Formats: sequence, C-alpha cells, structure tokens
Amino acid sequence: MAESNAEWELCKENIQPLRRGRAISTLQQALSQQLEGSSTYLNQQKQAFESELRMYDGDDPMDVWDRYIKWTEQTYPQGGKESNLSVLLETAVMRFTEEKKYHNDPRYVDLWIKFADMCHEPLDIFRYMQAQGIGVKQSALYIAWSEEYEKRGNFRMADRMFQEGLKSGAESHDKLQQFHKALQARAARQAVSSVAVQESDDDDQETPEPQRMSLVELKALGKKKAVAPISRTGTSARHTTRGLQLKQPLGTSQNRQFVIFDENKASGSVPDEPKLESWKAPPSSRAKENEQRPEKWSNVKKSRFGHSVVAPPSKPNFQPFVEESDQPPVVTPCKINPAVNTILSARKPCREETPLKRLQEQQQHTQVQLEEGKVREQSMYCKELLLSGTVEFCFEELRAERYRQKHAQSLEGSPSEDNHTQSGLAL
Amino acid sequence: MSSTLKGITLKGSAELVAEFFSFGINSILYQRGIYPPETFTRVTQYDLSLQLTTDPKLKNYLSNVVSQLKEWLFDCTVQKLVVVITCLETNEVLERWQFDIECDKTAKESSAPREMSMKAIQQEIRSVIRQITATVTFLPLLETACAFDLLIYTDKDLEVPEKWEESGPQMIDQSEEVRLRSFTTSIHKVSSMVAYKRMDSM
Repeated sequence: MAESNAEWELCKENIQPLRRGRAISTLQQALSQQLEGSSTYLNQQKQAFESELRMYDGDDPMDVWDRYIKWTEQTYPQGGKESNLSVLLETAVMRFTEEKKYHNDPRYVDLWIKFADMCHEPLDIFRYMQAQGIGVKQSALYIAWSEEYEKRGNFRMADRMFQEGLKSGAESHDKLQQFHKALQARAARQAVSSVAVQESDDDDQETPEPQRMSLVELKALGKKKAVAPISRTGTSARHTTRGLQLKQPLGTSQNRQFVIFDENKASGSVPDEPKLESWKAPPSSRAKENEQRPEKWSNVKKSRFGHSVVAPPSKPNFQPFVEESDQPPVVTPCKINPAVNTILSARKPCREETPLKRLQEQQQHTQVQLEEGKVREQSMYCKELLLSGTVEFCFEELRAERYRQKHAQSLEGSPSEDNHTQSGLAL
Repeated sequence: MSSTLKGITLKGSAELVAEFFSFGINSILYQRGIYPPETFTRVTQYDLSLQLTTDPKLKNYLSNVVSQLKEWLFDCTVQKLVVVITCLETNEVLERWQFDIECDKTAKESSAPREMSMKAIQQEIRSVIRQITATVTFLPLLETACAFDLLIYTDKDLEVPEKWEESGPQMIDQSEEVRLRSFTTSIHKVSSMVAYKRMDSM
C-alpha cells in the first residue's frame, strides 16, 4: 500500500513546496502523468482555461485567472519553464493594474506577492504596489514585505512594515498583529543568541565551531596522498604554517578596541520614512544576464607601447573543403497543433524587454491617445481576445469555442464530452 | 541494543518502538517548526542525522510519555499514537500525525525470541523517518505559532495514569490524508499517516 503511492517521495526534490500545501491527489496525478509522458490531458485542461479566459463574460474576470494559476501551481510541481507560471503571473498581474476594484482584492494581492517571489528584487515590487495602492489595505502585503526584509536579516525594516500595515488599517488587523508578535519573538531570540555569541567571544576560551582557515593545507588521509578529507576543519587541517606569519605585538592589541558601527543598534538616528516614489511601471521581474549593449570595437585605439609585431591576418591560401552534401537541411513546413506541441513555437526576437518597459509603453500609448483625442492604431479584429492569455489563439479556435457553446446550449444538459476531446485543430 | 541480536523479544520490541516514537516525534517537531530550530541538536541514529530537542521541559515531557508508552507497548494495550498540531491562537487543529499500532497479543514475555533481523527493522524505521522528512514537499506552511499534543489510544479498560487526561480525537474537518510507510518488529506493527487541512480551493 505504501509502495503504491510513494511516487511523491521519489520525486520529492522536484516538488516545489507551496505555502498552501498541495492536494496529494493532484500531485500523484501530475507525477504519474509526467512519468508516463502523456501530457494530452494536461494540455486539454490548459486549453480549456485559455479559452475560458477569452470567453468569460461575467463581472469577475479575475476568477478565471486565479483558478488558472492555482491549477498551474498544483499541476506542475517542478514549477519550471513548461509550467509557464512566471509568464502567467506577469500577464495576470499586468492585466488588472488599471482596475481599481481589484486593488485590494485578496486574490489579486496574492497574485502580486507570488509574482514578487519570482522576481529578483521583490522589494521593488512591493514598493511599486504600495505606490500604486495595490494591496495597501491587505495584511498579506505587509506580511510578505516584512518576511522579505527578515530574510535579509533586516529586522528593523521588517518591524517597520508591520507598523505601516497597522497604520494604514490593513485587513485583517488580528492577523497582522499575530505575525508581528511572531516576528518580535524571533527577533528577540536572535538578539539573545547573538548576545550569547558575543559573550563567548569575549571570554575567548574556545571557539565553538572549528573554522576552516583560508589557504591552510589539508592533511592527506590514508595512503593516497592526493585525497583531501571531507572535513576540512579541526585536526584534519594542517597546522604547520609556511611562509610569513604575521605576529601582532602583544602590547598594543590588548588595549586597542575597535568600535564597529552596527546599523541595527544605531536606532537613535532619525528613522528615514520610506518615501513613496512615483513609480511609472513595475520594476523588472527578471534580471537579464547580459545587460551590456554590444558596442563597436573598431575605433578602440591600440596603445603603441613597444614594438608589437602583429601580422595582419592573412587570407588562407587554400580553399576550405566543403562537402557537396553539406547543404542546410530543408525544413518541411508542417502544421502542428499548438495546443499539443509547444516546443516548436516560434521565439520572437526579443529586445531588452522587461515588464517595466512594457507597462511604460502601454501607459505612454494611452496618454498619447488621450492627448490627441483619437486612436492612432486600430485593430480591425479582436486582438485582445486572441492575445489575452499566455498563448496566442487563432480565429478558428475562438469560433470553434463559440460554436461549442451554442451547441451545448442547444443540447442543454446532454453530455458534451466528445466535444471536449476534440481539440481546436480538428475544426 | 546491538545489531548482533538474533531474534526479537516482546521487551526488545517495545523498546524499539518507543525509541522510534521518541525520534519520530522529535523529527516532526523540528520539521514542522513547532519549536525553534536553535533548540535542537543533531544526533545520528538509524544511520540518519536526526534532530533532538535540547529544551529541558520538552525533553522531560517526551521522556515521560515515551516511558509510559513503553509500558503500554509491553502490555500490548496501545492502539494509536497521534501527534496533533494546533494553532496556538485559535486552537484549530492543523495537522494530525497518526501512528496506528497493531500488537500481536500472543507474544508473551516468556515466549521465545522471534526471528527478525535487526537490520531489516532499522531499515524500515529509517524509511518511515525519511518519509516524515519528505512530507514538507506537500504539507502547507504552518504560518502561525503552533502547539502540539500527544494522544494515545489504548484499550478501553485501562486506567488513566495521573498527568494524563482523556480527550476527544481532535479530527480535522475537510482534511487531506496521506498514508506513509509502515514498519513491523513482528510483534508491533506501526503504520503512519498524516492528515492536514485542505486548501480553500482545488
């Protein structure tokens, strides 16, 4: 019995823990499907969510996004690229920035916090949220913000976040206070333990943990001389030091005391109120590796120091042999169901695009439109519908969806299962 | 308890199982953050590195429970041990670790030791504890300060010792249950299970 459902244990390293936990049945299902390599069911569900995003005409479009994202979290335990979670979160979060009614919706704030978790600078995101008034009435924002500070060891700011939350009257007050208390308890514990460490340092009797000294040679274990022991501290570190040894004169070292500035202790200074910067757009979510633009190198002057003899690269005086059959392979154009295969989806040549820039552009665009009083560009097709999800739809898919709805309505109650098993390609 | 032991007696089995619970409960308390991690120290047991509490009160409490448990195991009157994790503020049950114990009541103190390799038992215990550790992959984060409680189900006619009191089963409503591995000493069979609160959606 235990063996039959130990799937999750075998894959435990590949399952991202979620704050809310996972439904074990969904987890088992997702893992077993991955093992079998059959993703058709998942793709169908994904497609269903995508089309629901487009066909939804209630007054709570956020609901679909929320369910879609939760489903994705549960269904892709690894949370990797194929889950598309980061794109999904970004799109969802961007979509409702203008809608004031969602700004203090717990679900929306939750999405933002999840989004911030995926970003490299969550603090920037939180500041942006505050400046935009997103989630300022929700305790979740302040809790997440404080946790981020605490993660960085900045207890003072972590504490300040709670005070700010209490000041702004965030919902729910109790939860905020409860977390605040827990934080204070942790901070106190930490302070106590650090005092204890300091005291033991002052006694200077013995160092509690053997530290690895830098550049210390390691004793070899056993007969093989080249093998370093795993434990590189304590007795296994060789203590014979070679070369220069710096010995401090004993007299001076004792009465000299360095006062080390500790920013956490220096609480007497004026607490700098966090300013509300005017954020035009959310900060970038993904730091790019190569931010440096390629530049011209040709006009870099070579310094003329000494006689450098560099022969100009001469042309090879032979003809490189090219095999006759070495032609680029001809790719047969083929139609692939986009719902089934995402591998071959074209990757657009991306410029330096960050969510920041994208939103900025969008905002500028609307501003220009407002100033000129007319719309410069007008799509004569339902562009939003096609592009609103994370994958692009084609007209036929939308049409099929409408057809199916009508069909289902006319049948009224009779099972429409076989409609669902056919994917958009068939129509 | 050396591994050269050939068979297993009722007494040995009771000790083994009690020892497992001592380590198992400690692991749960550490893994789930019921007590601050600084108050734990690392020991090696069952070829695993495990965390044991250094908190004197908790230590005392656990050793009391375990020694009492050992007696009941020896008498074969215990049916279940449950670690209940509740929210400190609201007293709501958030997690429930249940260990079902099946005793072979035919085993008597005087009966001959049974054939069972110590190594195999330890192997099984190890995999149970490993699985307890691995459950963090799906268990929800315990966001609030929590307390824990130990419930022991015994046969009905047993007298409640002092310092113990009767309580309800403390079930979780709307829970998700996951069976974990089990182990047996051929006299006591322990199968484990964890139940946790289901999320609002899904």
